[in-house]
Amino acid sequence: MTAVSSTTPRTNKRTFAEKWRSLDAREARLAWGLILPTLIIVFGIVIFPAFFSIWISFHDVNLSNLNDVFSAEFVGLDNYRAVMDDFNFAPGSQPSGWVDANLFGKIGLLFTKWNWGAAITTIVYSFAATILTMLLGLTAALILNQPLRGRGLIRTIFLFPYIAPIVGVSFVWQWILDPRPSGVFNDILWARLGLIDAPQAYLATRGLSLLLVIVLNGWRYFPFAMLMLLARLQAIDKTMYEAAEVDGANTWQQFWNITLPEVRYVLGAIFLLRLMWTFNKFDDIFLLTGGGFGTKVLPVLTYQFSFGQRDFGKGAATAMILLVTLVIFLALYVGIVMRRVEDD
Amino acid sequence: MTTNTVSDRNMTIIDHIGRWLNWKRFLLLATLWMFIVSIVFPFYWMVASSFKTRAEIGARETVYVPATLDFSAYRELLDPEHPSFQDFGRNFRNSIIISLPTAMVTVALATLGAYAISRLKFKGKNVMLNSILVIYLFPGVLLIIPLFAMFARIGDTLGFDIQDNLFVLMLTYLAQTLPVGLYMLTNYFRTIPTEIEQAGLIDGCSRMQVIWRITLPLAIPALISVSIYTFMIAWNEFLYAFVFLNNNNLFTLPIAVNTINNDPSPRPNVVMAASTIMTVPVMLLFLGMERFLAEGLAAGGVKG
Repeated sequence: MTAVSSTTPRTNKRTFAEKWRSLDAREARLAWGLILPTLIIVFGIVIFPAFFSIWISFHDVNLSNLNDVFSAEFVGLDNYRAVMDDFNFAPGSQPSGWVDANLFGKIGLLFTKWNWGAAITTIVYSFAATILTMLLGLTAALILNQPLRGRGLIRTIFLFPYIAPIVGVSFVWQWILDPRPSGVFNDILWARLGLIDAPQAYLATRGLSLLLVIVLNGWRYFPFAMLMLLARLQAIDKTMYEAAEVDGANTWQQFWNITLPEVRYVLGAIFLLRLMWTFNKFDDIFLLTGGGFGTKVLPVLTYQFSFGQRDFGKGAATAMILLVTLVIFLALYVGIVMRRVEDD
Repeated sequence: MTTNTVSDRNMTIIDHIGRWLNWKRFLLLATLWMFIVSIVFPFYWMVASSFKTRAEIGARETVYVPATLDFSAYRELLDPEHPSFQDFGRNFRNSIIISLPTAMVTVALATLGAYAISRLKFKGKNVMLNSILVIYLFPGVLLIIPLFAMFARIGDTLGFDIQDNLFVLMLTYLAQTLPVGLYMLTNYFRTIPTEIEQAGLIDGCSRMQVIWRITLPLAIPALISVSIYTFMIAWNEFLYAFVFLNNNNLFTLPIAVNTINNDPSPRPNVVMAASTIMTVPVMLLFLGMERFLAEGLAAGGVKG
């Protein structure tokens, strides 16, 4: 105690040279030295570009002025207006026959004929794929939490879709869903089981192709949810199940009253992460359908505006709309769902 | 006991199965096998299709098992003698040329940065700690336009072409791998107890010696896992390479496979052979290193 109080007044009156040589200062200098290269690169290729993207979305940047991008003309909200007015972005008009159709007909038309536009497609795709990923991940985690022979091997196999390169995986699914009668799906569903009347072009039919990219997203990303949930499941106190068993709770009641509350927070975290990443996913859809047949999502549209039409301002505006939509959803989720969880 | 053995002897095989297979078990096994088939079949189909002849690929009947192991798809990709030879080995080399340095630079920079942020005391530490999560979550799609415009401007000033430039592509990959490396390693360094390092400092080691002799050796599993993940990110990366590369000679594997897939006369056996060549190294790497990798997956090693 005395030692501390005797040194304190001295540190207050330290000269600059003393401060420079002090242990804390040396540590701070070392820290900055270690961080600096990383900091420069992260600033240069992540942080600056993130803000530059906002700038671009308000300027007329295209292929002709790309080499002199900083003197591009300020166009205000023109890029945003151009995106909103684009037929790829906004929902299309009613399909023919809409007025005369009954309820079931309308539902059918909604899913098979109506052009939803990229904004709505993105939201439907992201939410549906995220929920499916969570359900599949939970199922897989529950399976792996059972005493099974070869559990390690099964877990390894379950990780395959997540590890394999997206390019190979997308093309093999394309080939399995081949529209010719010899495609695997057509062979099984049409030729062998007779469940469908004619061979289908699965990835080239509006409605069906959106459903399939959602299912394939679930197929590819469920291992992520599975791993996180499995870690949580294995940490649950086993005696709770034994107690429930003694009290006569059946499997379903045990799942509903013990397992689900225990994994609730992990499910929330998975939902946030997957929603965010699915919202911004480009490759999956681009490689499977090229964004055609009702599967055009905002990341694909961003690519098409900037590198197809070479209108970078319009592309950046699309990216900003994507980001803002995402932030709104995340804020709503954190504000409503998380708060309610805390209140419980 | 005795009554049990008597009844066991009188049971038919159906009774045995019936006793073993209650509905819960049935549901469990049925779901398990649905998962296994839906996962294994696509990978089987990829490899099996790569060994099919053109006749088998184009047949009206689906060929589930190729009659012979036909290597013509692989020869078209790898054998210079083949009439429609596409130098796929060159694309493989490009992928290695870009993925290895990406992984090495990422691990080197991320280790230093993550160590300083998680371990040393300095002003601005908390800001950085918090921003790591933000840049980790920041999506790559949103960066491609500004990066392209930025590098185009820089390239124009310094007089180099940003397209078909593997070095520029590698720099853009750092925008995706560095946040992952920083995020994983910061979390990892925070799990190493500070007492071990303090013991080293008290024994008279300098900070750098502590890092070099104590912390890094402890972190080797994490470093291996981060290098493999960043390697895989670069190996699998599609969008940036698709935008930045135009020249067939410089295509990385994903772009080369995509180009073969978009060929006007589609040959699925060649696409599947190319996909197999691209997929097998990644799967082997994962299987060989699974001990290090499985935890890293849940900790954010694969982003997206």
